[in-house]
Amino acid sequence: MRVGILCSRIRVEEKLLFQAFRDRGVEAERIDDEAILLGLPGDLPLRLTGSDGGSPTEMTPVGPYDAVLIRSLSHSRALYASQMLCASGILTVNAPEVIAVCGDKLQTSLALARRGVPTPTVRVAFSPEAALVAMEELGYPVVIKPLNGSWGRLQAKINDRDAAEALLEHKQTLGGYTHSIFYIQEYIPKPGRDIRSFVVGGETIAAIYRTSSHWITNTARGAQASHCPVTPEIDALSRAAAEAVGGGVVAVDILEAPDGQLLVSEVNHTPEFRNSIAPTGVDIPGRIADYVLEVAMKSER
Amino acid sequence: MGILCSRLRPEEKAIFRALTARGVDFDRLDEERLFLYLHTNGLAQQYNLIWSRVISHTRALYLLSILNGWGLPTVNDYRTVLTCGDKVLTSQALIGHGLPTPRTVVAFGAEAALAAMEEMGYPVVLKPAVGSWGRLLSKVNDRETAEAVLAHKITLGGPGHGVFYIQEYVEKPGRDIRALVVGDEVIYAIYRRSSHWITNTARGAEALPCPLTPEIAELALRAARAVGGGILAVDLLEDADGRLLVSEVNHTPEFHGAMQVVERDIAGKMANYVWSLAATRSTERR
Repeated sequence: MRVGILCSRIRVEEKLLFQAFRDRGVEAERIDDEAILLGLPGDLPLRLTGSDGGSPTEMTPVGPYDAVLIRSLSHSRALYASQMLCASGILTVNAPEVIAVCGDKLQTSLALARRGVPTPTVRVAFSPEAALVAMEELGYPVVIKPLNGSWGRLQAKINDRDAAEALLEHKQTLGGYTHSIFYIQEYIPKPGRDIRSFVVGGETIAAIYRTSSHWITNTARGAQASHCPVTPEIDALSRAAAEAVGGGVVAVDILEAPDGQLLVSEVNHTPEFRNSIAPTGVDIPGRIADYVLEVAMKSER
Repeated sequence: MGILCSRLRPEEKAIFRALTARGVDFDRLDEERLFLYLHTNGLAQQYNLIWSRVISHTRALYLLSILNGWGLPTVNDYRTVLTCGDKVLTSQALIGHGLPTPRTVVAFGAEAALAAMEEMGYPVVLKPAVGSWGRLLSKVNDRETAEAVLAHKITLGGPGHGVFYIQEYVEKPGRDIRALVVGDEVIYAIYRRSSHWITNTARGAEALPCPLTPEIAELALRAARAVGGGILAVDLLEDADGRLLVSEVNHTPEFHGAMQVVERDIAGKMANYVWSLAATRSTERR
């Protein structure tokens, strides 16, 4: 059984994952995403340059892997690596389709809506003028988010027209694909927290509350993680959201609306989980390793 | 004289007409077609004076630096354009000359900028230190907006990245005042009226006649002198107490809005001023 982990930096999460595989008798191989060279199907699927770059002759073909766990920090690296690997018949966790959907907030919203998973109201506009109309129509406050991006980066809560104008002009000046499509979401007045649930292979294994005095409740931005009981409602919603984006290993962000309704806001394809193990008591890296090995087993057969 | 400009706006057309009417011998120099050998002061042999109507602030700065470096007089001169093109330097010059200006703070990091805004109290206005036509001005009404705008500014990067120019928001009566100074004379004042807090005519504000009171004239002249003098448009804000504050000084003013509402021959006044400077220089050279 050969398992690779594609990663950029070894964070706490990756250390825990390597250990979890070791505990299961599998020495997972680290694949540095800065060092990989990928080929189209029929070509060498995966080679590594030396740590110092190295000439092409020194490159080592690696694998073949039964499965590769994608833990790249960069969404685009994760997406393209998984696509290239899968094209050559190497299974990845997550699958490229899942990474594509979760890495793009608009695709996520569409996937969730298609399966009838409740989400906050979303409007999409392609010009600052149209975006302003959308915001005025939805009513302030609204949230504007880059289509891709993590850790709450450049998410803006917009409380009035002055802020809308300022932000739209800055976004327009920033330009690029991410900032010229305006993804506008109704602001849900959360009770100072949101819920993040972890779904692995179709099972909701754990959930945390992320509590913060700031409206952005990412733990990377200082939110506190605490245990959240996986109620039947959270379980059903989490599984539905995971299934909607294509399954695998995902973290589902859930907002509690004032009327008590749960809304899925985002689904993450390479979740961080270091702060979620202690409060929930769930061996998240172990569960992920088990799932990857299950996928690898199918591949062997 | 030479006139530097690449685009012919109504202003430049009016200036050319005024110069032609006065029989002034001038060349139009398109800066986009210009290259200057730094070791040979070519233009200084040909011209007594260069009048810059260059739209790009960066181009204007380098051109004027080179020309003035050769000893060739320009309108405006390099120091004035350098000061007026940068809001930090403008504020400093105005404050240094005792002119009333809105409370201003300059921060050198995003966290410091946030702390400054919180201390100053909302609403505040966050402006790029360098920029025109009201571009990227942000009225910040609360902390959440401050955080969002700062995050976007940092991501934008650019040369001004890392310097945050923050000004108290002056509750204007739906307008500001722009006074045009040419040498020692204030030619006109106009109101720029807008329902938007940004009152640039480029952003849709309407130009209306404004009586040139002694107070406006005096402030405008003092502000123009504070930044080095020349042909300058001084922006004044009326605060809630009716006090006048100098907000900005523009080094290459547009005046097509004013041409519609002001009786005076604006381009003619400018042409007279620049021509007299060129003539002085010509006499000196002989």
